[in-house]
Amino acid sequence: MDTEKRTQHLAERLGYIRDVFGGKHNENIALLESKLQEFNLRLSEGSISDENAALTTLEDLFDFVERKLEAELTPMDKVRIVRHPQRICLRDILENVYDNFTEIGGKDEHSIDPSMLIARAYITRRSGKKTINQPVLVIGQEKGHGEEFRNGGSVKPWGNAKALQYMKVAETEGIPIHTYVFTPGSYPVEDYPGAAQQIARNLYEMAGLRVPVIAVFSEGGSGGAEAIGLADRRLMLSHGYYSVISPEGGAAIEGRLRQGQRAAPELIEKCAQQLRITAEDNLRMGYIDHVVTEPPLGARPYHYDFFRGLRQEIIRATDEVILGVKGFAPFRAMVLRRRRGKAETMDLDNMYVRWSLSASAKDRLVGRRHRKFNRLARNAARDRRPVLRKLSNMGWDAWWDIYSYFKYDLLRKHQQKIAYLVEEVEAEAQVLMEKVAAPWRKITCALPGGSCQSSEETERELTTLSDWDEEGQRNGNWSYVSPRAKEDRAITCPNAATHGCLDLWAPDLFGEFAGVCTYCGHHFPMEYQWYLHNVFDEGSIFEFNAEIEAGNPLGFEGFDVKLEQAKKQTGLKSGCVTFEARIDNVKLVVAMLVAPFRGGSVGAAEALPLPGLRARHRRHPHPGRHQRRHPDAPLHHGRAPLHRGRGPVPGAVRHQFVRRAAGQLPRLLALPVLHPFGQHRLRRAGRHQGDHGRGHPAGLPPGLSRPVARAHPRHLGPPRRARQPEAGPSDHGRPQPLLPVARATARNR
Amino acid sequence: MQTKDHKVLVANRGEIAIRIVQACRKLGLAFTCVYTAEDAASGHVRIARELGGDKSLCRVSSYHDANELMAVADDAGATAVHPGYGFFAEDYRFARRVSQRDRKLIFIGPSWRVIRELGDKINTKRLARSLGVPTVPGSDRPIYDEMEAEKVAQSLFEFQEQQGIRKPLVLVKASAGGGGMGIEEVYDIDLFRSVYRRIRNYALRQFKDEGVLIEQRIRDFNHLEVQVVSDRSGRNPVHFGTRNCSIQSTGLQKRVEIAPGFDPSSIEYGFDAAQVLRDITNHSLAMARKVGYDNVGTWEWIVTRDGRPFLMEVNTRIQVENGVSATIARVRGQKGVDLIAEQIRIGLGEPLGYGQEDITFEGVGVEYRLIAEDPDNRFTPWVGRVDGFGWPERPWLAMHTHVPSDDPYDIPTEFDPNLALAIIWGKDLAEARERGVEFLDTLVLEGANNAGEPLRSNVRFLRDNTGRILKF
Repeated sequence: MDTEKRTQHLAERLGYIRDVFGGKHNENIALLESKLQEFNLRLSEGSISDENAALTTLEDLFDFVERKLEAELTPMDKVRIVRHPQRICLRDILENVYDNFTEIGGKDEHSIDPSMLIARAYITRRSGKKTINQPVLVIGQEKGHGEEFRNGGSVKPWGNAKALQYMKVAETEGIPIHTYVFTPGSYPVEDYPGAAQQIARNLYEMAGLRVPVIAVFSEGGSGGAEAIGLADRRLMLSHGYYSVISPEGGAAIEGRLRQGQRAAPELIEKCAQQLRITAEDNLRMGYIDHVVTEPPLGARPYHYDFFRGLRQEIIRATDEVILGVKGFAPFRAMVLRRRRGKAETMDLDNMYVRWSLSASAKDRLVGRRHRKFNRLARNAARDRRPVLRKLSNMGWDAWWDIYSYFKYDLLRKHQQKIAYLVEEVEAEAQVLMEKVAAPWRKITCALPGGSCQSSEETERELTTLSDWDEEGQRNGNWSYVSPRAKEDRAITCPNAATHGCLDLWAPDLFGEFAGVCTYCGHHFPMEYQWYLHNVFDEGSIFEFNAEIEAGNPLGFEGFDVKLEQAKKQTGLKSGCVTFEARIDNVKLVVAMLVAPFRGGSVGAAEALPLPGLRARHRRHPHPGRHQRRHPDAPLHHGRAPLHRGRGPVPGAVRHQFVRRAAGQLPRLLALPVLHPFGQHRLRRAGRHQGDHGRGHPAGLPPGLSRPVARAHPRHLGPPRRARQPEAGPSDHGRPQPLLPVARATARNR
Repeated sequence: MQTKDHKVLVANRGEIAIRIVQACRKLGLAFTCVYTAEDAASGHVRIARELGGDKSLCRVSSYHDANELMAVADDAGATAVHPGYGFFAEDYRFARRVSQRDRKLIFIGPSWRVIRELGDKINTKRLARSLGVPTVPGSDRPIYDEMEAEKVAQSLFEFQEQQGIRKPLVLVKASAGGGGMGIEEVYDIDLFRSVYRRIRNYALRQFKDEGVLIEQRIRDFNHLEVQVVSDRSGRNPVHFGTRNCSIQSTGLQKRVEIAPGFDPSSIEYGFDAAQVLRDITNHSLAMARKVGYDNVGTWEWIVTRDGRPFLMEVNTRIQVENGVSATIARVRGQKGVDLIAEQIRIGLGEPLGYGQEDITFEGVGVEYRLIAEDPDNRFTPWVGRVDGFGWPERPWLAMHTHVPSDDPYDIPTEFDPNLALAIIWGKDLAEARERGVEFLDTLVLEGANNAGEPLRSNVRFLRDNTGRILKF
């Protein structure tokens, strides 16, 4: 009976090896197969004297071959390992690593998303004679050994929302969170709440969670992994992978495949190599903190030693995080001492660290987490500023911190008090003046030629030219005119078939109409310069962080060339332009994602400046108090550029931004600027749930406390003012400085 | 003459298209006409076929599609476009496109900059005020502030009371609006705020601009026009007299136009009518000179009962009623002035060739617009078939129509049911009136619709109103 089980087990192991290597190492597999068959034959013949000894020999042979093959694993083999149904899954970990657990938030099919598993688990430790149960919240994707309803660990947005909700529960309870990443990527749901959007929400919230988060990566596929992967300690199983995109997805982009086509296996293999997805690669690049060694050819549910080791690693990681912020020196020394030990030989069960934190320790925890991820992003982008410049920027930032403290925190309060006082006094004086002046005015009015307003004066006011400062107005002229407005051609609106729009003449459409179809209101994508020069006050734009350059942290083959091309084409260093600007004198800090730069996709260099914006904004509080009631009032008058009022008038465009910017806190603004190509790209990237082998991680938590080094502002300067409607297709001769624009029309979209 | 080498695309339909074709013919110019499927039986198609053959006709799917018109122009090798009135006549973007595209054409009308400048009512009003030309009392810039708006309205009410107007009215209109959209009257200052807010919100929704204009609402006025003509130099505009277009339908569409604008010789006015006519022509020419007006155009005025003129707007195009001015005008004593031919001639770049002193006026002209409509039922358009249409030829009568008099004609439902323009000349007002009545009495206009009901027209309305022409 036992023999039967053991042979069955060996058959499973053989099948596993065969699956993992997908046609390679056939001689080894054939050897094992023949040995196993021979054993089975002899068993059925009854010619084995000592079944147990023979089986042990056979098992040793399997162990030997597995160890031998272990040395020859390629990244793609590891991908196949983590996807194999025999791979350990979260349930196995809960059973074997934790001392007790209860699944919460719905079990199996009764869960809102069975691929996301939440459990309250306990780790029982002893301190002397006391037994302490330490609760943790375990969150992770459940692949369920191939159970179909688990979707292979592809979590839908509501599954990630559920995870987020229970993270908040853990935060309320003050217990650590252990997350286990077993996902090939999130389930692509584009409708609300949206896969990417939910992941972003998770990232945002996780960045501020006030409890320790430990993440363990087995299969970390693109955005889905990030939904629960933002952690204080990130461990990785030695046979796992962690990548911005699955090798197949990467191959589809590399091979420029269309819907339904499949990439060649060699290309996938190559991409798996290039994407630097293995545990060693991730450790080297700093994306994970520690590798948990698995048995040869990866952990399977019967590898109990592995679970024991994992338990120790998990406890150690949690302890480290806790002790790192508790700030009590003897413990830190102990942690350091423990670091020398091997995971399997450690016995942390007999040592107790209280897993709760004081309020200040929690602050330190969050601050550390922010710095950790900020550092990750900075390493992935290139900052080519000379050291001296960096230093001076840091000094400059420090000076600004002090200055703004005095100016805004100290002075502003008193300033306001004084202003209110002056206002009060003025109002009093006004009433007094009225009282005093009234009799005098009565007298002068009664006199002929008195100074009170006569009927002639009223008539003059009503019938003669009034003062009207038209200087500050755009009068329907755009400061920047799209180069597409120079072509004599008619453009068809994509809604023409449904809305009956007539073709529009390109100079009208891309010039005066600002890319808006006058029939249906469809917005043709405009160049980012259009927004830059037409939305913000002229000459008010000061760029910073311009030196941050998109890099190729993975060393992906050919990507450097593409980046160089993009940099040359656009004159930008990354796809994110950050600047300070004003709209009707309301100051803003703006980040703008620029489509012509690699489709506007966000990598480390693009995300890096974003947290800095917040810091910058704090440093220069931008008052929203002093706006005029109608900020766009004088921007245009009856000469609205579009008759029948369809489409944007400059005032309306600006108005929107001003309202957004002034009315809401935080007063940060991000302008996504797309052109047809870019839109397409983004949509496609959205489907794959990945951001094309660049930068890592995909998103950065906002509100990072450490300011990003300030570069010297680069003045983008006002463009030479093109009197747009005056300038016909022939006399637009001004070359636009920043980039040539893809001349895509609606037709070829 | 160099203008002979030109070919004119007639981008319009009906009566004006016929007159443009005739004018081209007179000037010896080639032309191309467009028509839609519904207009296949229209007179302008017939006359184009007669005078230019089938090659001078091109069917289009819509008169409103500039792309199609440009394609026709290129295909036919046209060098100029005449927009007529309506459709693209006052669309500066069309004019700009025509004159700035790769294969440039001449836009027979003012230059697009002039169209844009005078097409904007605020701009026109401010231009007028800067030259001391009287305009309707009220604001001359969009008002965005509620307090300011109320102040203007308040002083407008006071102003009207001072003038002895018994029921003062104030007009609130969206500054970005037009064509009657977003206009409302206020008769009480207490109601002003609610109206103001309504219009402001409407304007914001509709035109994305909150600005409003606040003006006096003038009632009891006569509608006068000044016909201005200027060559491409834009330096020497002349006028072809005034017209009175006060007889209108309930929808404020003109029905009878008379030239000159007033007749002080036979009618007693409560003011110096001759002086008013002199003033408005001088003001109109002053503005034309200022903007460098370079084609034909009409300055529209309203004259109150006490003889105060106010500039209303400028129409930067040939107008329907151009013929009535032409019929009383004499250039160097010569009859037979054709303003459309003059427009094409100067539009193609010829100098005008005469000055104001060469233009004299003789007699009175009356133009009737014959329309299939029911004046008793709020001028509802009538649709059906015209079976009989005829009139006795007279030396003092000119008929412009696209409706054939020998064939039945189905009135297309896609356009206004205009049938004809009748222009009558008399040596004085009495004779013009008499001849007008005679013409209307002898006119044959019969027809029926699908239900067998007889044709309805405004002939009786025109006859009834002939008695009061030029009387204030």
